[in-house]
Amino acid sequence: MSEYAIVAEDLTYHYGELTAVDHISFRVEEGEILGFLGPNGAGKTTTVRMLTGQRRPHAGRATLLGLDVARHPKEIQAQIGVSFEITNLYEQMSAVENLELFARLFGVDGFSAGALLRRVGLEGREQERVEGYSKGMKQRLMVARALVNRPRILFLDEPTEGLDPTSSRSIRNLILEERERGATVFLTTHDMLEADKLCDRVAFINQGEIVALDTPRALKQQYGRRLLKVEVAGPNGQMETREITLDAPDTGETVAELFSREKVVTVHSEEATLEDIFIELTGRRLV
Amino acid sequence: MAAHTLRTLVAKDLTLYFRNRFFAFITVLALVFYALIYFLLPATVDETLEMALFAPSVPPAFAEQLTQEGVILRQMESETALRQAVVDGDVPVGITIPAGWLEGIAAGEAEPLHLFFRADLPAEFQDAYRIILQEMTYAMSGQPLNIRFTEETLGPDLVGEQIPMREQLLPLFAVFILLMETMGLASLISAEVEAHTLQALLVTPLQTGSLFLGKAVTGVGLAFAQAFLLMAVTGGLSREPLLITLTLLLGALLATGIAFLIASVARDMMSVMAWGMLAILVLALPAFTVLIPGIASQWLQILPSHYLVDTVYRVANLEAGWADMTGNLLALAAFSLAFFALGALALRRKFQ
Repeated sequence: MSEYAIVAEDLTYHYGELTAVDHISFRVEEGEILGFLGPNGAGKTTTVRMLTGQRRPHAGRATLLGLDVARHPKEIQAQIGVSFEITNLYEQMSAVENLELFARLFGVDGFSAGALLRRVGLEGREQERVEGYSKGMKQRLMVARALVNRPRILFLDEPTEGLDPTSSRSIRNLILEERERGATVFLTTHDMLEADKLCDRVAFINQGEIVALDTPRALKQQYGRRLLKVEVAGPNGQMETREITLDAPDTGETVAELFSREKVVTVHSEEATLEDIFIELTGRRLV
Repeated sequence: MAAHTLRTLVAKDLTLYFRNRFFAFITVLALVFYALIYFLLPATVDETLEMALFAPSVPPAFAEQLTQEGVILRQMESETALRQAVVDGDVPVGITIPAGWLEGIAAGEAEPLHLFFRADLPAEFQDAYRIILQEMTYAMSGQPLNIRFTEETLGPDLVGEQIPMREQLLPLFAVFILLMETMGLASLISAEVEAHTLQALLVTPLQTGSLFLGKAVTGVGLAFAQAFLLMAVTGGLSREPLLITLTLLLGALLATGIAFLIASVARDMMSVMAWGMLAILVLALPAFTVLIPGIASQWLQILPSHYLVDTVYRVANLEAGWADMTGNLLALAAFSLAFFALGALALRRKFQ
């Protein structure tokens, strides 16, 4: 058994003249949550499509659970779960019918839709047609559908985009539960806070290329600035803000001097966010 | 492919088909509508010729002879009443014979005979009336035509048993039902593409070929079941039921192949409808030749539906059997398999 759940080597994909994914390489360990972060059009979904056997790479190779995706797509697809960016449920069918359909296609014995629907908080409405569900409910059902075969690798493409806080939290909890179970999670998102909370490592993708790949903490240490924001009262009573870099050699002296000379009202420490780092690396915002 | 996977796919497609209110409604409506039309149309053909006659001094022999020719005569009291009867559509033809007409004919004179035709009477019927009257006139003038006819009917003699309109329409209904299914199945596939549900199915262990085999079974099953039901309800299976069943099955395969082709070129539901209507219009052409023989040229035989319509019509109405229809069946089978293979390939190419 491979110790890496996902190995991407020089993966490349073109749409006509446009290179959507440009020779990217990375590895994801079993049981790891990898966040794949980037703005719309960066190449996240195309990468997922190549990794899940929906698109054949124009160059490079993807290996999942030790199998070449291009050569063994169906063997791999039996062991993965995919939640798509676009809602693609059978809207004229109920939640139970949707899940049971996919369970039968995966050949899952003794499948219980009820248990899975309870996990995503859809109990009580499982017999209703999906067309009457809210966006959040549909998204939770999509994630539930990706879990019917207890996948070893879970691909989640923007699972919380545009959702209310309750639905987002429900999906985040589910991701963490799956990691506890031992599943590997490949999470594409442009929500940096979500990635920061959930992911063991994050990869920044921009214009088809991976520009950084590490743990959130390491990225912040490598690229971010830690600051102390101090609000002081000016001579006429107006509030002014001072910024002190925490990682400078003379930070202690600077702070002491500020407190002795000025009337300090509030003090806040701030560290760089993943979004700040992304902007620093690419010059682009995420949305 | 495992049987349980095929069952799962077919059950899913049938569920989606009948939960689509439009297609569920159209399916039931078409069946009921065609069956209703069939039973409302007369089961026999009116073979009588009717004629109004105003002849103040017509000899009884004239009227008798017309009656012997199978013409039902309605004696009118005046030319005005005769004209009105024709205009009102009570009779298709009226004839006025002036006084002394027969004597003039017998004396070798050219006597007038005035015919009134209803406006919508076809030219060939008008000719038939003229010929009957000319022949009678010769006979009554003592100069019968110097011809002795001998007659032999080739094939089943349908005199007195003409094929009623509803039996002529039956193949057309069956073909319409089969062709309507092309739109239903193509829409089902198109809806899966538009809703991106195909994408979800294709990241399971399900093979692309299996997916479309499921669609094919659904399509053939739906089309065949409807056409078979219509034929069964209307008594269309009373002659050579196996031959008709096989023909309908091949027709359903043809409809499924065409549905696959439409789904492979259509971008959305609207284009499915547009392509579907075009296909129905073209493929329904051979059905109209059954209703009005001679309106179309031989080129219609390049249309695969010709062999479907022709077989159903001739088996149901003209006592044709397996031996007569072998050529038709082979051509239909070849067309159906070719269209199915072409459609499946086009669809596979589109989605892989």
